[in-house]
Amino acid sequence: MAEPATDFTLDTAQVLAEEEHGASIVGRSPWYLAWRRLRRNYIAFIALFVFVVIAVACSLAPIYAHHIAHTAPNATHTEDIVNGKQVLSAPVIGTDAQGNVVVEKAGGVLGPTWWHAHGRFVLGADGLGRDVAVRLLYGGLNSLKIGIGSALICVMVAVLLALLAGFYGGWVDWIITRSFDLIWAFPVLLLAIALGSALSINGFHHFGISISPHSLWIPTLVISYVYVPYVGRPLRGQILSLREKEFIEAAIGQGASPLRIMFSDLLPNVASTALVFFTLIIANNILTEAGLSFLGAGVQPPNPSWGTVIQEGQERIISAPWLTLAPGIAIVLTVLSLNIFGDGLRDALDPRAKVRVEH
Amino acid sequence: MTAFVIRRFLGMIAVLFAVSILVFLIFIIVPGGDPASRIAGKHPTPQNVVNIKKKWGFDKPFYVQYYEMMKKVGTGLLPGNHSQYDVLRSFDDQTNVVHEIKKGMPATFSLTIGAGLIWLFWGVMVGVLSAITAGRLADRLITIVALVGISMPVFWLGIITRYFLAEKPSHPWFPDGGYVPLTASPWEWYKHLILPWFVLAVLFIGFYGRVLRSNILDTINEDYVRTARAKGLTPRRVLAKHVLRNSLIPVVTLFGLDFAAVLGGGAILTETVFELHGVGFYAAERVGALDLPPIMGVTLYGAFFIVLFSAIIDILYAFLDPRIRPA
Amino acid sequence: MRSRQGLIRLLSVLALMAGLALMTAAYAVSANRPQSSVAHTKSVGTFRAVIDTIDYLDTSQAYTAQSLWALWTVYETLVTYRHVAGAAGYQVVPGLASLPKISRGGKVYTLTLRKGLKYSNGKPIRAADFKCTMKRDFLTASPGVGFYDTIVGAKKFETSLKGDIGGIKTKGRTIKITLTSPRGDFLTILAEPFAALVPCGTANQDLSANPPPASGPYKIGPNPDKNRGFSLVRNKYFKPTKYIPRGTPNRVDVTIVGDADAAVQRVISGQADYTNAAIPPERIGTVSNRGQLRLRKSANTYYFWMNTRVYPFNKLKVRQAVNMAIDRSALVKAVWGGLGVTTENILPPTYPSYRKLTLYKRNVAKARQLINQAGAKGADVTVWGRQVSDSQQSTTLYASYLSAIGLKTTLKFLPRSTYYTTIGNSDTKAQTGWARWLEDYPHPLDWFDVLLNGRNIVHENNNNFAYYSNAKTNRLIDGLKKPPALTPAVNKRWANVEKLIMQQAPWAPWSNRTFPEFFSKNMGCISIQRLYGIDFMKVCRK
Repeated sequence: MAEPATDFTLDTAQVLAEEEHGASIVGRSPWYLAWRRLRRNYIAFIALFVFVVIAVACSLAPIYAHHIAHTAPNATHTEDIVNGKQVLSAPVIGTDAQGNVVVEKAGGVLGPTWWHAHGRFVLGADGLGRDVAVRLLYGGLNSLKIGIGSALICVMVAVLLALLAGFYGGWVDWIITRSFDLIWAFPVLLLAIALGSALSINGFHHFGISISPHSLWIPTLVISYVYVPYVGRPLRGQILSLREKEFIEAAIGQGASPLRIMFSDLLPNVASTALVFFTLIIANNILTEAGLSFLGAGVQPPNPSWGTVIQEGQERIISAPWLTLAPGIAIVLTVLSLNIFGDGLRDALDPRAKVRVEH
Repeated sequence: MTAFVIRRFLGMIAVLFAVSILVFLIFIIVPGGDPASRIAGKHPTPQNVVNIKKKWGFDKPFYVQYYEMMKKVGTGLLPGNHSQYDVLRSFDDQTNVVHEIKKGMPATFSLTIGAGLIWLFWGVMVGVLSAITAGRLADRLITIVALVGISMPVFWLGIITRYFLAEKPSHPWFPDGGYVPLTASPWEWYKHLILPWFVLAVLFIGFYGRVLRSNILDTINEDYVRTARAKGLTPRRVLAKHVLRNSLIPVVTLFGLDFAAVLGGGAILTETVFELHGVGFYAAERVGALDLPPIMGVTLYGAFFIVLFSAIIDILYAFLDPRIRPA
Repeated sequence: MRSRQGLIRLLSVLALMAGLALMTAAYAVSANRPQSSVAHTKSVGTFRAVIDTIDYLDTSQAYTAQSLWALWTVYETLVTYRHVAGAAGYQVVPGLASLPKISRGGKVYTLTLRKGLKYSNGKPIRAADFKCTMKRDFLTASPGVGFYDTIVGAKKFETSLKGDIGGIKTKGRTIKITLTSPRGDFLTILAEPFAALVPCGTANQDLSANPPPASGPYKIGPNPDKNRGFSLVRNKYFKPTKYIPRGTPNRVDVTIVGDADAAVQRVISGQADYTNAAIPPERIGTVSNRGQLRLRKSANTYYFWMNTRVYPFNKLKVRQAVNMAIDRSALVKAVWGGLGVTTENILPPTYPSYRKLTLYKRNVAKARQLINQAGAKGADVTVWGRQVSDSQQSTTLYASYLSAIGLKTTLKFLPRSTYYTTIGNSDTKAQTGWARWLEDYPHPLDWFDVLLNGRNIVHENNNNFAYYSNAKTNRLIDGLKKPPALTPAVNKRWANVEKLIMQQAPWAPWSNRTFPEFFSKNMGCISIQRLYGIDFMKVCRK
C-alpha cells in the first residue's frame, strides 16, 4: 500500500522532551509552540527579513533624498546635465524634401547612473527630470503606509463586526451580514475607484471630519472599507461555530458580560486567524493600492506611489523600460515576501495541520 | 425548498436596489461637477444651461431624480426603440449606457470565458500536482511560482508582457492590444486574446492551486479517507473518488464567484492595459470621469452577476446538503 | 506503489507538454501568416483612417477637431473654406450659398442659395432649412448656440424654445439674417458646422447613431458608432463646385482607436492609411521611418491663466514674475517632446495678425525679486490641472517653477469632463492653472472676445479664467467687432490689443502645439487644411 509522499512531523512536545533529556514535560502555550514551529521555517524568516529591509529602506527615503541624491521626490531637473548627459533631451527633428519628418537624434531621459554621479539619478530620471530612485523610496513609503494602515483598520473593524454578529446573532447578525453582502456585491475595484476618485477631488468634509483630498487617509480608508467583508465573513463563520461550544455556554451560564465573553473568550480563539489574515491582507492591499493609483484614483500626483510611478513610466516604456520595471519589481518583492511569510505563519499557527513542510 | 429559492431571489433584487441607492448617494454627497454644465459643453450660454437642467430633470429633488434614473434603467433594458430622453444616457457624450454595455460584452465575455477555462484547468493541475508531491522539491518550486504569480500586480504584468512580446521585438508574434470580434476573424480574435488570457489567469492559477493543495492535504487525512484506504481501495481511486471531489467543492465555489466578478466587468485593469473595449474598460473610463449614469449601469450589471452566482451557489449547496437548508 | 505515482507524474508532464506544444504551434502558424488579415485594395478607392476619438456625428453637437475633420465633408454650410493648404485655407468662399451681401453697417447678411441642391436622400435643399437648423441648435442645446446669439430673436427663442427667430427671413432661395449689432466674425460663424444645413423636421436630439441626410461630397454610411467607427461614402446627389471638389476616395473608413501605439501599428502594418494619433514623443524616431510623418501646425495656444481677482495674482508684479519664471522651452521639451513652439502670445502664429511678443525673457532671479517686492513670498497657491497626461506634466512643471520663485504650491487635478466647469465657476476662486484653446473659427474675436473680454465674464461656465477685465482693452475688443474683414489695418489693431493685454499678463502662455499626422508609405497628395486638418478629399496613392 503506497503512502502519500508526505513528511509527518512528530509531536512537538515529544521533540522538546527528547532535546531536554529527561526534563519534565511542561505544558507550553499554543503561541509558544507556534513560535517554535515558525522558527524552523527558514524560508519564511528570510521572507520576513526581506520585507523588513524594504520597509526600513523606504522609511529612510528622506535621508536618501537629502543626503545622497540631493533632491526631493517631486523636484524636477529637466535642464540639469549629469556626467555630460542631459537629464531630459529633446529629439532633433528635420524634414526631408517631401515634407516628411526625419528624426536625426532621438530624445530621451537619463538612464541609470549606478553611483557614477555621486548618488544622483542612481536609477535614472523620469519624464519630468525627477530622480527615479528617490521616487521609488518615497513611493514605497506611501504604498506601505497605505497597505499596512488599511490592513490594520480592515482587520480590526472586521474582527469587531464579526464578534458582534457572531455573538449576538439575530437582527444584529442580519444587518451586519447584509451590509457585507452589499459591499461585496459591488465589483470591488469599481467601488474603490469610484470612492477614490470622488473623494480625491474635494476631500471629505462631513460629520465633523475633515480630510484633505491629498491625504493618504483617503486611499487607506477606501481600501480598508472594501475589504472588510472579505475578512469579516470567514471570521464571523468561525465565531458562529465557536459560540456553540460548551465553554461559551458555560461562560454565559456563569453570568459573564457579553463584552467579557467576546474579548476574553472568543477573541483569543480567532486571534491566530486574524493575524494570518492581517499579513495576507497587507499584501493584497498593496496590490490594490497600486492598481488604484495606476488608474488615478489612489495616491494623487505629484505624490509618488509605486502605482503612479508605473503609470508615469508607461509612456516611455520603449526608450526607458526600467521606469516601469523597477517599481513593479519592488511591488513583487514586497508582496511575495509578505505572502511567503504569511504562508509560514499560517502553517505555524494552525494546530490541525498534519503536514508541515520541513526545511 | 421552493420557498428558499424564492426568498433567495427576492433577496437578490433587494441587494440590487440597495446597490443602486448606494451608488446614487455616493454621487450626491460628492460633487462631480454640475452635470448640466458638463452636458452644455465648452461655450454655453446661461439660458442653455437652464434649458438642459429642465430637460434632464436636474432641478428636481434627489429622490425624484433617483426614481427617474431607475425608470430609465428599466426602459433601456426593454427591447425596441426608445426616445433618447427615456433611457439612461452618459452626462459626457449622451451615449445610451445600456447599448454601450452591450457593445462591451463580447470582449468581456471572450476574455472571461477563455481566461476562466485556463485558470480553472491549470489551477486544478497545479493544486493536484503540488499536493501529490507535497514536501518535495517539485512542490516547493510550484509553490514559489504560484506565489510569484499572485504577488504581481496584474496591470504591471500586462504592461511588461505587452512590451516584451508585442512591442519590443521587430517581428512580434503577438498583436499590440486591441480586440477583434469573433465574428470578424476567429484567428485574429484568438491571437489578440492570448496575452490577456494568460495575464488574467496567472493571478488565479496561483491562488487556486494553493487553495486546492491545502484542501487536498486536509482531506487526505480525514477519517473517511483512511477508512476507504483501509477498505482496500487503491490510492488512485481514493484520490479521484473521495479526496478530489470534496476538495474541489470550495474551489468551484470560489470559481463561481470569481468568474461572476470578472464577467461583471471586474477585469478592469486587464482590459485597460490591453485596450480590450469591454465592460470593465468602459467602467474604468466612466468612473474616472465621475459620470453617474454609466457608473450606475455598470455597477448594477456587475452586481447582478455577483449576486446571481452567489445565489445559485447557495441554492446548489442547499440542494446538495440537507443540513444547510433553513428550517 | 511507485508505478502509480510514476504514471501520474508522467501523465501530468505529458499534459503540460501538450499544452505548451499546442500554444507553440499556434504561435508558429500565426507568425507565418501575413501581418494583416484584412484585404487591402491598391486603388485609392477606400481611405482607411484611424482616429483617436469622436464626440458626435451630429453637427448640432459636434465640437471637437476630430469630429469636424470628418463632418465638414458631409454637412455643408452656407459659406465654407477652401480645400487648399496654407494660409489660403482660411479664406471664406461660397458653400451652399453665395458670399453674402453685407448691409446696414454690418447688421444684415443676405445670401442666395445655389440652384438645384439636393440632400443625399434626393430631397431638395431649401433656404428654409437654414432657419430650421438654427432652431434645432437651440432646441438640442447645442454647445454652439452662444455664437448665434446676436441674431435678432435668437435670445428670445432660446428662453422660450417656442415660436420663431425673427432675425432669419427666407424667401425662395434668399436668406436674410439680421443681427442685433454688427459682428466682424459673423461670416466665419456662418461657416461653422453648427450652421450646416439639415432638413426641416429633423428630430431635435442627438442623431449620431442615425445621422441626418448629407449635403456635402460624402454621406455617413450605415450603422455609425461614434465610439468604434463609421464610414463615409459618396453622396451621389452632390455636385462639385469651384471650391468644393469631388474628393478622391470613393469611401473613407474611420476606426476609433484610443491607444496611440495601437493606432500607429495599424498604419505601419498596412491595415490603415492614416492616423491622427498623438504619437508619444519617444516613438517619433522609431515611427518616422516606417511611414510618412507630417507635423501639422494647428491654431492652438496652451497657457496658464492667473486669476486677477484673487491673491496673489491680483498683483501685476506677481503675474509678470510668473511669466519670467517659467521655462517655456523646457516645457515644450518635456510635454511635447519638442513637437511645439514656445510662445508668449495669445494668438497662435497661424493668424495674419500675429506679431511675436518677447516681453518676458526668462530671468528667475528677477522674478524672485518681483515676488518679494509684491509681498507675495510664501503665498499659498493651488495650481489646477486636468487628469490628462500632458496637462498633468505641464502643470507639475509649472508648479515647480512657481515654487522656485517663492510661492507655496499645491497641485489639484480634476477629471477631464469636470475641469472646465469647475474652474469656470467663480465660486471655486481658482487661483491659477492649466488651459488651452483651440480655435473655433479663424478670427481673433474667437479668442479675445471669449477669453479676455471683461464684459463676457459670467458666473458659471466662464471661459475667461483669468477674470481679466481692463476697460481699455474691453473697449478696443468691442470696437473691433465692427470691421467685417481682416484687413492689414484691422490686423494691426488686433496685434496692438494683444500687446496691451500681455503687458497686463493675465496669462502665462507657453506653447503652440504641433500635431503629428502619420501616413503609410504609399499615400501621396497629402494636404493640410489650416482649419480642418488633413484634407482626405485630395489624397492619392503613390
